[in-house]
Amino acid sequence: MNLLDTCELLVKLARKAGAAEAEAYAERTRDASVRVRDGEVEELHQASSKGIGLRVICAQRLGFTYGTDLSKDGLKKLAENAVALAKGAAKDKANGLPRGAELGAKDAGEYDPAIEEISPEWKLTAAREAEKAARAEDPRVRKFDSTGAGDFLSQSAIASSHGARGESRASYVYVYCSPVAEADGQLQTASWSDTRRKLANLQPPEEVGRTAAKRAARMLGARKPKSQRVPVVFDPQMAAGFIGGISTAVNGLLVHKKSSFLGALLGKQVASRNVTLIDDATLAHGIATRPFDGEGVASRRTAVVENGILRSFLYDATTARKAKAKSTSSASRAWASLPSIGTSNFYLQAGAQKPEEIIKGVQNGLYVTAMLGRGADPVTGDYSRGANGIWIENGELAYPVQEVTVSGNLLEMLKGIDAVGDDLDFRASTAAPTIRFAELVVSGA
Amino acid sequence: MPRKSTTQTRSPLLPLPLVERLLSAAMSRGADFAEVYVERNTSTAAMLDEGSIKSAQSGSVTGVGVRAIRGAQVGYAYSDDLDEPALLRTAQTAALIADGNREPGPVNMSRTPLPTYYQVRTPLASIDVARKIELLQQADAAARSYDKRVKQVTGAYADQTREILVANTLGHLAEDRQDLCRLSVQCVAFGKKGERRTGFYGGGGRVDFRFFEDFSPQQVGREAARQAVATLGAVPAPSGPQTVVLAPGWSGILLHEAVGHGLEADFIRKGTSLFAGKLGENVASELVTVIDDGTVSGGRGSINVDDEGNPGERKVLIENGVLKGYLYDHLNAKLTGQRSTGSGRRQSFRYAPMPRMTNTYLAPGDQTPEEIVGGVAKGLYCRQFGGGQVDISNGNFVFEISEAYLIEKGEITKPVKGAMLIGVGPEALKNVSAVGSDASHDPGLGTCGKDGQAVPVGVGLPTVRIDNVTVGGTGA
Repeated sequence: MNLLDTCELLVKLARKAGAAEAEAYAERTRDASVRVRDGEVEELHQASSKGIGLRVICAQRLGFTYGTDLSKDGLKKLAENAVALAKGAAKDKANGLPRGAELGAKDAGEYDPAIEEISPEWKLTAAREAEKAARAEDPRVRKFDSTGAGDFLSQSAIASSHGARGESRASYVYVYCSPVAEADGQLQTASWSDTRRKLANLQPPEEVGRTAAKRAARMLGARKPKSQRVPVVFDPQMAAGFIGGISTAVNGLLVHKKSSFLGALLGKQVASRNVTLIDDATLAHGIATRPFDGEGVASRRTAVVENGILRSFLYDATTARKAKAKSTSSASRAWASLPSIGTSNFYLQAGAQKPEEIIKGVQNGLYVTAMLGRGADPVTGDYSRGANGIWIENGELAYPVQEVTVSGNLLEMLKGIDAVGDDLDFRASTAAPTIRFAELVVSGA
Repeated sequence: MPRKSTTQTRSPLLPLPLVERLLSAAMSRGADFAEVYVERNTSTAAMLDEGSIKSAQSGSVTGVGVRAIRGAQVGYAYSDDLDEPALLRTAQTAALIADGNREPGPVNMSRTPLPTYYQVRTPLASIDVARKIELLQQADAAARSYDKRVKQVTGAYADQTREILVANTLGHLAEDRQDLCRLSVQCVAFGKKGERRTGFYGGGGRVDFRFFEDFSPQQVGREAARQAVATLGAVPAPSGPQTVVLAPGWSGILLHEAVGHGLEADFIRKGTSLFAGKLGENVASELVTVIDDGTVSGGRGSINVDDEGNPGERKVLIENGVLKGYLYDHLNAKLTGQRSTGSGRRQSFRYAPMPRMTNTYLAPGDQTPEEIVGGVAKGLYCRQFGGGQVDISNGNFVFEISEAYLIEKGEITKPVKGAMLIGVGPEALKNVSAVGSDASHDPGLGTCGKDGQAVPVGVGLPTVRIDNVTVGGTGA
């Protein structure tokens, strides 16, 4: 039985078991990867897996079950358990499945059949090339945490008693390399990877290896700078991490519970004018591009912050109902869990400045290239993270530094972004170009 | 004392003759070791938000992972389809790591008798969900009645009954049932001018449901509320190097990050950890003795048997400041001529095992907590903690402080917010200048992530003083 039929059967069984509303979401995946060490295979991994989750609403009460047994008996058990579990939950009139015009699909065609055909030999070669290029890049790179390549295919389906009905497919291919550089008893590591929806868009593996090696080797000799308040530049990966922290504060549920530092600021200036944050599930080639969200609502593009003004929060159907807003198609989903609000392709729109110019504009400051810890607290607005990077002197990258923290208040940080780079590349579902904060607290020696 | 397990009466997760056929298939191309891992994981969860039970959920996942090893090379495949042809295909896929042909001999398996370190008589999966929901309601009421300024309370209860069977071509066969539960509450307290502070508390372990009669939901709710209210009006934490005193318990995450990960044998074998090649050297203050112990009774990180069939162990990693040992799984032990320390763990059948910690703690010293705080003229007292992270190669680690106070002239004074500690593992441990007599384990909250795999762990630390630690904060 195909996935969509299985979902429809489960919905039918749940209705029969007494559910007023029922929704089934199923997924089938295949992943295959190769890891190498010193040019030899270190691990070959290959597997396929499947699973289904069932959400039911009985008298406004919510129940959820999941499992890997897709036989008719297995499904029947899921249906009966879900209805029984719902009896334990509280009545909530916001509970309810999306319906009507909200439902639908926008197919961006992000499935590449060429990825189905990738052989283990191709992955082995790609991983070897990345490792070899990393070694060749710098003589101090002789050790590796890991280097590999792989592909991932998924197929998902959704069906509900209230009109949701859809199927979607996704394909991914990736190469990664984590070399360790060594000199004078110091070890420094860096990771670099490239993940794409289409095989033709994948960066050459050599480039992935070279970039990783450069990033590790340039950290050798890192020292701990003095504590000071200085301009701080985040490279694109670190900037993506920063806006990822901001994305948790625009979660509609947190806002509804008055627990986000951005909650009361809709329509207000929350960031400098050069900050525009977009969530777009329809983005061409986006890592998180999809036809519909985790509860069947058609994908869309939402401007969250426009020229510094907070325009929208992100909602799934249930929270939207509570907050008297509309779903922004932001239900994230995996078969073993209930939908929850999350981002799709979330990015900071590119600016006009070259990253080199942004660095040139700093007399004395920090260029951050790696971070530790979670950092952003969406409730309190506090921000503090461990950082590694390169110290900037007179507009030039001068010497590597480590063991510092950068701290600030998220709202002040957003308002203090005084430069946005032109180097936006959608390497991950959350992406940003180089950004500069006018001043942050750097704690070190 | 551990109890010896009773004779197996339940039928195995997979018929043993089939397990043997899978092992043979995994060896069929010349591998020198094969392993079959069968897992059935049944879990229940309930969520409370905005004063009511938002959802109740349950699920069950069963699958088989097959690993074939030839030298240092690993083939791994898994299946959640349990019929024989699908499982044989899985074993043959794992076998592809070797490229020869070989007529594998028969595998004779014998059961490893296991001690039991868990305190679970009744599987958690068989406890009525209504009783689990009741815990959340009690915790919610306690948190709300603690203080009017506590306006948001989110509670979560989750448990799992995980049954595993591990068999390998060395003839080991081990079966274990690993129950685990956790109750947690998060509170947001609202102060003046839109100020918000959060509190988080909870606990559990490999314990019977009756655990919550002593570790009561009321206590959990009140403690989460206390943390949120206590830090209202906090000023920004002072930044820069200073003396810190860590309160006992969950602060053990410091050890987990600062040294634990760096002692895992995969990093040691690859030479990518700064602790590689340092056995017998001084890597910490002589006050520091670090133990990783999979045998703590009822501990969240405890294991009767690891996910490769080796019994859980107590390992002294650092003794009086001297590095004594590493954490080994089967593969890294074999490749470096060592023996497994029962540290091979995995998130589920979908993953190959790797060396991991269990419960990691610092042995107690002889000072009272009062003496330790009293001896600090100016510093930071860290009472509650968030998560942490480490870079294995350069040893940089961070460690979030969710509730902290200034220490002035030996007294704990004003609350501060937004503090974070950063350091380099061995340096921070060399700066440990006092260790309390108040040995303490965390209440059972921790989950450790490595290479995308999450496993439950425990940590522990008595009151500890560390000098010259860099504190990240925005204050002067």
